[in-house]
Amino acid sequence: MSEPSIFFSEVNERQGVFTRRAFLMGGLTGLGLVALGGQLVHLQLVEANRYAKLAESNKFNFRLVPPPRGLILDRNGVTLASNRPNFRLLVARDGGMDVETTVAELSNLVPIDDKRRIRLVKDIKRAPKRSPVSVMEDMTWEEFSRVNVRAPELPGVTADMGEVRVYPHGGAFAHVIGYVAKVNDKDVKAAGANPDPLLYNPGFRIGRQGIEKAFDLQLRGKPGAQKQEVDAKGRVVRQDPRGDIAPTPGKEIRLTIDVDVQERALEVFGEQSGAAVVMDCRTGDLLCLLSAPSFDANRFVRGLTVPEYKALNEYERRPLLDKALSGTYPPGSTFKTMVALAALESGMITPQDRYVCGGAWWFGGRYFHCWKKDGHGAQNMHDAIKNSCDIYFYQVALKIGPDRIASVAGPFGIGQTFDIGITGQMAGTLPSTDWVKKHRPSDPKWYPGESPSYGIGQGLLNVNPLQLCVMTARLANGRKALNPRLVKSIGGVEQPRGSEAPDLPFSPEHIAIVREGMAAVANDVSGGAYRQSQLGLGPIKMAGKTGTAQVRSYDKVASRKSSSVGWKLKDHNWFVAFAPYDNPRYALSLLVEHGGGSGATEAAPRAREIMRTVLLKDPELRSLIEQPMPMPDVDPGADTEGAAPDLPDAAPPPPPGAPT
Amino acid sequence: MTVSALTRPGERDRPIVKFSEIDWAFCLFLCLIAGIGAMMMYSAAPQSWLPWAAPHLIRFGVFFVIMIVLAMVDLRVWFSVAYIVYGVALVLLVGVEAFGYVAKGAQRWLDIGPIRIQPSEIMKIGVVLALARFYHGLSGDHARFSWWLLVPAAMIGAPALLVAVQPDLGTAILIVATGVAMMVLAGLSLRLIVAGIVALMVAAPLAFEFLLHDYQRNRVFTFLHPEKDPSGEGYHILQSKIALGSGGLLGKGFGLGSQSQLNFLPEKHTDFMFATLAEEFGFVGCFSVLFLYGAIIFMALRIASTSHSHFGRLGASGVTATFALYVLINGAMVMGLAPVVGVPMPLLSYGGTVMLTVMIGFGLVQSVRVHRYSEVTAGRGALL
Repeated sequence: MSEPSIFFSEVNERQGVFTRRAFLMGGLTGLGLVALGGQLVHLQLVEANRYAKLAESNKFNFRLVPPPRGLILDRNGVTLASNRPNFRLLVARDGGMDVETTVAELSNLVPIDDKRRIRLVKDIKRAPKRSPVSVMEDMTWEEFSRVNVRAPELPGVTADMGEVRVYPHGGAFAHVIGYVAKVNDKDVKAAGANPDPLLYNPGFRIGRQGIEKAFDLQLRGKPGAQKQEVDAKGRVVRQDPRGDIAPTPGKEIRLTIDVDVQERALEVFGEQSGAAVVMDCRTGDLLCLLSAPSFDANRFVRGLTVPEYKALNEYERRPLLDKALSGTYPPGSTFKTMVALAALESGMITPQDRYVCGGAWWFGGRYFHCWKKDGHGAQNMHDAIKNSCDIYFYQVALKIGPDRIASVAGPFGIGQTFDIGITGQMAGTLPSTDWVKKHRPSDPKWYPGESPSYGIGQGLLNVNPLQLCVMTARLANGRKALNPRLVKSIGGVEQPRGSEAPDLPFSPEHIAIVREGMAAVANDVSGGAYRQSQLGLGPIKMAGKTGTAQVRSYDKVASRKSSSVGWKLKDHNWFVAFAPYDNPRYALSLLVEHGGGSGATEAAPRAREIMRTVLLKDPELRSLIEQPMPMPDVDPGADTEGAAPDLPDAAPPPPPGAPT
Repeated sequence: MTVSALTRPGERDRPIVKFSEIDWAFCLFLCLIAGIGAMMMYSAAPQSWLPWAAPHLIRFGVFFVIMIVLAMVDLRVWFSVAYIVYGVALVLLVGVEAFGYVAKGAQRWLDIGPIRIQPSEIMKIGVVLALARFYHGLSGDHARFSWWLLVPAAMIGAPALLVAVQPDLGTAILIVATGVAMMVLAGLSLRLIVAGIVALMVAAPLAFEFLLHDYQRNRVFTFLHPEKDPSGEGYHILQSKIALGSGGLLGKGFGLGSQSQLNFLPEKHTDFMFATLAEEFGFVGCFSVLFLYGAIIFMALRIASTSHSHFGRLGASGVTATFALYVLINGAMVMGLAPVVGVPMPLLSYGGTVMLTVMIGFGLVQSVRVHRYSEVTAGRGALL
């Protein structure tokens, strides 16, 4: 204290002011701290739950786990469509990742050519952030493990195991089952305002045709979720298995089709084009619904290249068209069954009424020819069906007129579509006077000259193979207007049977007369397809009717033979059949498109082969054919271990008499 | 030691006496806060002394020693260097403008050899010292209302302007607020205070419109409507509030705060350290830390008011004002009550400069306490 301190008179006053104001300042600070405390109370005590939820939703992400797509099985449980593991390589764009470098790195691990690399870089850059883009599917195990080892140092790269649809029976079911393919913008739009998140999953495939399309939602299942803890950059830090939601697998769909019949049917067509439909004429179950030639649906799952698609699409035998449902053709002589029944029902013709066939018949200023140049002579109804005499049916049709024919053919399924679950049926044309009024307004009159052609299944008449099969099945059943059924069960739930149908409004006796005629076609040595219809199955015999439908006018040609014209002008060949003829169980229709022969030569032998397969698969019928084999005594205790090691996984055929 | 001994002339100049006169409870509270800060840094690292916790503790240790040393420095020395510190800081601020190192789009640093100085931080102490010294020599009447008040106004205005153009609005506001607080404490006329508040209310919207940078304006908008842009500018505020709120009463536990551990919380170890703490230790932890801060402010104000010299009173209270502003602004920001400005929570947040400023400031506060009975001489004339 050597220096004198300054000492103002108001020093104490300054101190007083300071103390007061320091007190005030302290108070203000305290107030501020209390305000902070209040906000703490608000955030941490009052709204704590809300913020805890927000923190949780920050922390956890749910990764979609796609459900396995439902299997499609045949009537006996044989797998027609299943899923196999698929090692995929996915790249999701991440903040700060260099897409070019990553893809270049990946091309060292898996084969990616330059073109694909450029494409990939573009795709990845265009995809939304962190949504994975498939770089490669179906990697080998080596490639998969190689990528997995390197993945941690390659941000955004993951290799995972997805599932891919597989159709083990290749082409046989391509039309019925259809296929799955990548989701496109239209699918997303069609899904409405709240599309299934699965649609955005990179491996997801949507049903495009047939069963896969019609039952897509049932087959698809419900996605599960995997709970993952992520950091602020979206990287997965931890998995939380307790938070996982298991996916609901898609429902299993069991068809009424029998895989052996279907495959045999595809086989018998060889190079030919056509369709075959087999129906159980007691239940309405479709055992075969085939269109040939076919294609490998597995190629569509992967995605077709443009040339591949072009080749399929432009091939004149149209493998992409389901001829069994969508192809309509004149039924030719197979339709004579309907005309005969209509004649009987009309009461204008008795079975004994005869018409004389001289090979040609003059009507309306022109000749109508019979397929047999020399004529059949006098024909009653039985003979006319057996011989497929055109002249007889020209005159019968003329006599009874189109409306009576249509009123019989309609209830038998001609001109109808059936609810078999899948889309694509074309109804064809069942002409009548009403029909021409409605659909031919420029020329609404039915000309008498149109009736004779109608009588032999030509002219305006157009049917699809399914309709003809239904017609045959209803004829064979004789009582019920059976409906075809394609889907046996969905997710274990039995679908309505085809036999739950009203009775046919026709006299069983009349139907029996037609059936007798069909039996004679196949079994009378003079029948139209006697040779081609021999099943060789002992007491079991088939009944049938051939059909040859012309696709060009015969008027100005020297020869009706198809051998001299191009494929597209050749005749269609039909055969409809049921067996056993005395106790019908199975009905069949078979078309050889532009077969160029006759129903007997082209269609009947194929139909016979299919029918043999069908009959031999029926255990009850099989027991009639096969002599009981003497069984050696087997010690029941011995060797039960390997009792049937080589049996396929398929369920055994249903026991005789069991409902199918 | 008896009271009579302490009243003996010269007795209080002995270093051991000075040392014992330091407010050790105050020091303990500082250590507690710094320790909690280091603990949270360890947790957020995650569970690692590096890169934050250990440097934070080491730095605090060094600065703590500096504070103790400064506490022993005679208040008359503080008094005599007051204008020099202010002057040097002002020159450095101009220097930053001229040769500044561009960081984060703002010129704030000055590289001198190996160390990097932020002159605006020195200026915080400089303004407090200079104002305290000036008011020490000013009569109460003049301090209330006179032309002399233009001098402190200029003393505050010049550095505030220089800092504001860097642009570092947060520090500028802090300097102005500290300066104004000191003017009020020194006895500014109440009418002038009211007039100033009115003027501020008129000028603020205009300043907001015409003086602020875009990014500063955006911060204000974001603060007002954080939900409009949850992944952009509003992200900081939202994530901070989530961290706080999800902490609840007791917190998620040490090292278990998902917001900070998974980096949803931005700047978790610096400006948003308090949110990290809040998440892991909840309301109880936050309240305790706020209580520590409150205690420190209260103790510092008590030290200020017990000083016998006007210089000591104003110096200590100026430092306290700065400190309190730090705490309140950062607290308000973290809790979503104020826009995001780059103001850390002193001692709790990682970062050397602010800690240095605060610890030097507290060195002055402790010096004021140690020398509370000394009379500080006036210099030559009113201004000096």
